[in-house]
Amino acid sequence: MQKKQKSLLWLSVLSVLVFLFVWWLVTDGLHLAAPQSLPSPVKVLKTFVQKFYTKAPEGATMLEHIGSSLQVALSGYMIGVVVGVPLGILMAWYENVDVFVRPLFDLLRPIPGIAWIPIMIVLFGIGLLSKAMVIFLSAMIACVVNSYSGIRQTKTVHLWVGQTFGASNFQLLIKIALPTAVPLILTGLRVALAGSWTALVAAELVASTKGLGFMIQQSRGIFRPDIIIAGMIAIGLTGAALTGLLSFLEKALMKGEKW
Amino acid sequence: MGAQNASKAKRVVGAVLSITCFLLLWQWGTSGTKLGLLMPTPIQVAERFLRSFVDPIGKHSILGHVMFSLSRVIIGYSAAAFCGIALGILMGRYRVVEAIFMPLYEMIRPIPPIAWIPLAILWFGLGEMTKWFLIFLSTFNTITLNVYSGAKSVDPVLLGASKMLGANPLQTMYTIVMPYTVPFIFAGLHTAISVSWATVVAAEMVRSTEGVGWIIINAMEINNMVQVLTGIVAIGMVGYLLAIIMRKVEDVMCRWNKGGK
Repeated sequence: MQKKQKSLLWLSVLSVLVFLFVWWLVTDGLHLAAPQSLPSPVKVLKTFVQKFYTKAPEGATMLEHIGSSLQVALSGYMIGVVVGVPLGILMAWYENVDVFVRPLFDLLRPIPGIAWIPIMIVLFGIGLLSKAMVIFLSAMIACVVNSYSGIRQTKTVHLWVGQTFGASNFQLLIKIALPTAVPLILTGLRVALAGSWTALVAAELVASTKGLGFMIQQSRGIFRPDIIIAGMIAIGLTGAALTGLLSFLEKALMKGEKW
Repeated sequence: MGAQNASKAKRVVGAVLSITCFLLLWQWGTSGTKLGLLMPTPIQVAERFLRSFVDPIGKHSILGHVMFSLSRVIIGYSAAAFCGIALGILMGRYRVVEAIFMPLYEMIRPIPPIAWIPLAILWFGLGEMTKWFLIFLSTFNTITLNVYSGAKSVDPVLLGASKMLGANPLQTMYTIVMPYTVPFIFAGLHTAISVSWATVVAAEMVRSTEGVGWIIINAMEINNMVQVLTGIVAIGMVGYLLAIIMRKVEDVMCRWNKGGK
């Protein structure tokens, strides 16, 4: 069994190597693909490293782009969490809130964040705030949905026990429903973070002057696919790092499936 | 039953109340304050929305734009559903397939499909192929993951039993693995339809000459807020309808599964 595991691992390594080799073969090896449409992996790697210290051609280094993107994404995400989680909890706990807020929420939900960009630009200008608001919308929706179903998972028996011991409605919420909901709330935070990052890229593709989305969109105009792919790698890595960090925090905070 | 009717009535009243409040607030905000210089009133938007069924925006009526976007979604989505389900099941079932494709899939997965837009335009030009490719990617990501986790979690006792009773691999696949994964497939299809709708809007906003995303980006260029909101209304409605349709299909197809729980 141990040996089989090992040979499977080798197969995985081999698969990635074959992929890179084929990529290299069609570009540098046999020159099947035009360098304006598909650069070789070596070139992409070089550009990726180079981008960390050169500003050319679109005017900022990779770290500046990442920093600017993170700033926008995280500020929008934070507002989304601060508004979304309590809203989801309130909707799940107080029926009157649910009856009133849910129709509006359902109205808003199917509209992708990126569609709001023109409205946000008119309302909040072309700075950080308008993009943060677009991200806020995407993040909030995931937070509301998950905290709502988290609170709804509370077992009625647990609530009865609480009532028998004379807990007030508010105490039931704090002492019983909230701890039950924590795992799903954390899932919501993770989903929302991934969603925020996607929304950020979308927002930067359409309207921005800095950031990773801007970088890849500009590079398309000047036919530099090596920068585009380097940018995509940076987007993927940053996104993965963000979700990884959150999963790590989640594991550190939780004991198994419990709070 | 009586209580249920009462809560239903309460929900209807709540919905009417909250949407009326929202519209009144919007109306007051745009006609009563300086915001009106920037934003149209809800009546203007409703009027433009209804008029756009006969009076075209750009070259097509609103239905035409919706049809363009929908046809893109349907082509990319169906191709991706087919490939995603096949790959997901194979990866979940066979360790060798998993070992080969999982690392490649994990390399692609963290990159949001929207980030492929510039590269896709370089590769496929400005035509339909770019949009199909992007929708394919976004749907494929979601569906493969769902189907994979489904096929991976097939009860080993069932697999063992089928093997013991002499089922060949193909029979095991058809009688055990496939039925077991169906709920996961539909969960994936359900999520993917919303994702692909959002992707088509984004792709059309970056580059296109028709479609619902174009309505918005064109309106932004000519600074026509009524048209932006008309586009948003259309996008929201279609997105809502797609989600409802998928949920109904899921309910019908997976009835046996829900009944069991």
